[in-house]
Amino acid sequence: MKISPLSMLAVLGALAFTLSASLALTADNWSGRAKSDNVFGMMFGDGRKLFANHFFTMADVYFHSGYYPSVFDQRATEEKEIISASHGHKDSEEDEKNEDFLGKPKDWVDAFGRNFRITQHTHLENHNEREILPWLRLAADLDPQKTEVYTVGAFFLREHLNRPDQAEVFLREGLRNNPDSYEILFELGRVYHDAYHDLDRARNVWQLGIKKFMVAPADRQKDDKLIFEELVVNLARIEDEAGNYGAAIDWFHAAQKVSPAPDALQKQIDAIQKKMAALIPVTPGKLY
Amino acid sequence: MSKIFALAGVVIKELYRRKDFYVLFVLTALLTLGAGMVNFFHDDKIVRYVKDICLLLIWVSALVISVVTTARQIPAEREARTIFPLLAKPVSRAQVIVGKFLGCWLATGVALVVFYFFFAVVTGSKEHFWPWAAYLEAVWMHWVMLGVVIAMVLLGSIYFAAPSSTSTITIIVVGGILLLGTHLKIIALQQPEPMQFILTLGYFVMPHLEWYDLRDFVVYDMGLVPVRAVALATLYAAVWTGIFLVLAWLGFRRKNLTT
Amino acid sequence: MTAILQTQKLRVEYRSRDFRQGNKIALNGLDLEVHAGEVFGFLGPNGAGKTTTMNVLLGFVPPSSGGASLFGIDVRQPIARQRIGYLPELTYYYKFLTAEELLRFYAKIFGLTRAETDKRIAELLKLVELEHAAKRPIKSYSKGMQQRVGLAQSLINNPDLLILDEPTSGLDPLGRMKVREIIQRLKEQGKTVFFSSHELGEVEAICDRVAILDQGDLKAIGTVAEVSAGSANLEQAFLKIVGYQPSSAS
Ligand SMILES: Nc1ncnc2c1ncn2[C@@H]1O[C@H](COP(=O)(O)OP(=O)(O)O)[C@@H](O)[C@H]1O
Ligand SMILES: [Mg+2]
Repeated sequence: MKISPLSMLAVLGALAFTLSASLALTADNWSGRAKSDNVFGMMFGDGRKLFANHFFTMADVYFHSGYYPSVFDQRATEEKEIISASHGHKDSEEDEKNEDFLGKPKDWVDAFGRNFRITQHTHLENHNEREILPWLRLAADLDPQKTEVYTVGAFFLREHLNRPDQAEVFLREGLRNNPDSYEILFELGRVYHDAYHDLDRARNVWQLGIKKFMVAPADRQKDDKLIFEELVVNLARIEDEAGNYGAAIDWFHAAQKVSPAPDALQKQIDAIQKKMAALIPVTPGKLY
Repeated sequence: MSKIFALAGVVIKELYRRKDFYVLFVLTALLTLGAGMVNFFHDDKIVRYVKDICLLLIWVSALVISVVTTARQIPAEREARTIFPLLAKPVSRAQVIVGKFLGCWLATGVALVVFYFFFAVVTGSKEHFWPWAAYLEAVWMHWVMLGVVIAMVLLGSIYFAAPSSTSTITIIVVGGILLLGTHLKIIALQQPEPMQFILTLGYFVMPHLEWYDLRDFVVYDMGLVPVRAVALATLYAAVWTGIFLVLAWLGFRRKNLTT
Repeated sequence: MTAILQTQKLRVEYRSRDFRQGNKIALNGLDLEVHAGEVFGFLGPNGAGKTTTMNVLLGFVPPSSGGASLFGIDVRQPIARQRIGYLPELTYYYKFLTAEELLRFYAKIFGLTRAETDKRIAELLKLVELEHAAKRPIKSYSKGMQQRVGLAQSLINNPDLLILDEPTSGLDPLGRMKVREIIQRLKEQGKTVFFSSHELGEVEAICDRVAILDQGDLKAIGTVAEVSAGSANLEQAFLKIVGYQPSSAS
């Protein structure tokens, strides 16, 4: 078949143009990254990461059914909502739902144009969350070191789509690529605990997570204090569930040191101590 | 009127006897089916990314088909010299412009129907859901927008001798409007003064083709756009189409065809 | 006798792209009359101004001064072209159409009814001997066939006056012969034919009158016998008129 070279060129050109321009719209992820690199570094190294970032953003766009700010809109928050949703930050999720990046129509063009845009802040629900998965898959393929892709994907698979098996497979893959990621270990523990109620395996991976955290660089430790707290609190809870009240209390004490709300944890400690009082006293063991 | 339809008929015949349309359609179909075949996390209900990719390909293909077909009409008439036996007959240059426009627009419409029908069949077979009204709105708005583009290309083809320059320029302009149209005012406000004024002016006087892109509504099943808005947008597009056609006619009327 | 085609002091200057050069004078006060029912040969070497004359008659080029008319109507009025047929030189008809589709298209431009169109197309395909190829795309045609499609399209509206620009140029002897036969037949039907050429043999055979143009100037006009008086044949007369000296070649 004869193909007119002009039409082929036009297709390629248009594709390249559309892609590059739509990337430019989400280039906020990129600006900090490519500055010092040369073109080749960008194409083969950071280029992949750039695309991975783009696809991760696409997952967030899908999560909002297209209601999504571009780089030109002022953004209230840098964080992706699928991340906060997957970390169970319900209140911040609500905040975002109420805030409206579009604002009041600026002029008649904008006002009329809104007839043809998605103007409602919604989140996927009723198993439609599955629609974000292809983008996460692509992001993970392009940048296997991007750990949040695995945790976010696993969260939705486990929590909303009832596929803990797939969540586990995805997290295992992430762990192979990032053996030191306590974020992935934490999410994996949740699969074992929340979905399979397998306390032993959950305890194992969470304890491993804590070990990994302890050897992580100091600045990362500082940034990820919340993950550490979650690991510790969750460990406390499974010890509580397992009836190892002493271990549970020790974990809660450890959590109090990093928690922004130690009082709430104290209440849980008190509750466990009450349960203990009804039983034979247990000496606290060594934790880590 | 029958003269205009006769002219349009030739353009339509040309489109379906050339390979471009089939190549783009097969390409779109293969890429879409390929994308649809990928298995993500053993979940076979995932469909929106397929819709997204398919619609993007349809938009690119339709733009290419309409622009490339239109850009060569007048230059080809001149190069093959068929413009002479044509204009030696009782047909005015205005009729030639309108006939060419109508031909390109109808031909593009036929192509769109084929493309969207494929889209509906493929995605419908996956999600067992056919929101025909939403599809109809999306196709209509797409077609109306391409009307403006075709008129724009026709105008360009009178001033640029090479169809490739007309095609390239219009694809860049249309692509730019589609991607930046909504944001142009925000961008303008971030610029220093002469540029700010120019961009703001551009924002108000340019044809807002980005309105006609209802892909998000289809991909995310967000329902229908109010019919009143579609009607107004159609009117707006008709006015722009008219403006470009009149400009094209003014240029063509004075054009010395013998050089 | 009525003049069907007439030019008066027709002057055409092409503006030069290069302003240092003067304007190109393509026609310098041409006076011409073609009468009803005659076959008129419009002769001249390349660049003489033949195509320019036809472009004025068809309204593609405006006269710089002077004027032209068809059927007594100024050529600036589109209505003057209702009853003419025109065959331009070197035209490549829509190659993705078949001959039949091409003729149908032009018939629609003239607003012919369906019945008229069918009848006309059948007649014309027979006249130009393309019945066998009527349903094939024009891109598969030989040069001679393409030229005959061109002749057919110029006749679609059954015109009274035919303006043919070098109808035989680039054809092989057989093709030229066929075109000549067609012109002959048109003459028998009472049509007026105004055609340009630099092939003198055929002109001699079929023309009632001829005009010889050189560098925008009309050098001779009259019957073949009148123009070639004093020379062995039309070709000798032509060469003499355009100033070719056989001895200067050696
Ligand atoms: N569009 C034009 N612009 C400038 N000069 C032209 C143009 N068309 C023709 N000419 C010049 O006018 C003269 C007459 O050309 P033309 O009428 O085509 O001659 P013919 O048909 O007899 O060969 C030639 O010298 C040619 O170069
Ligand atoms: Mg000529």
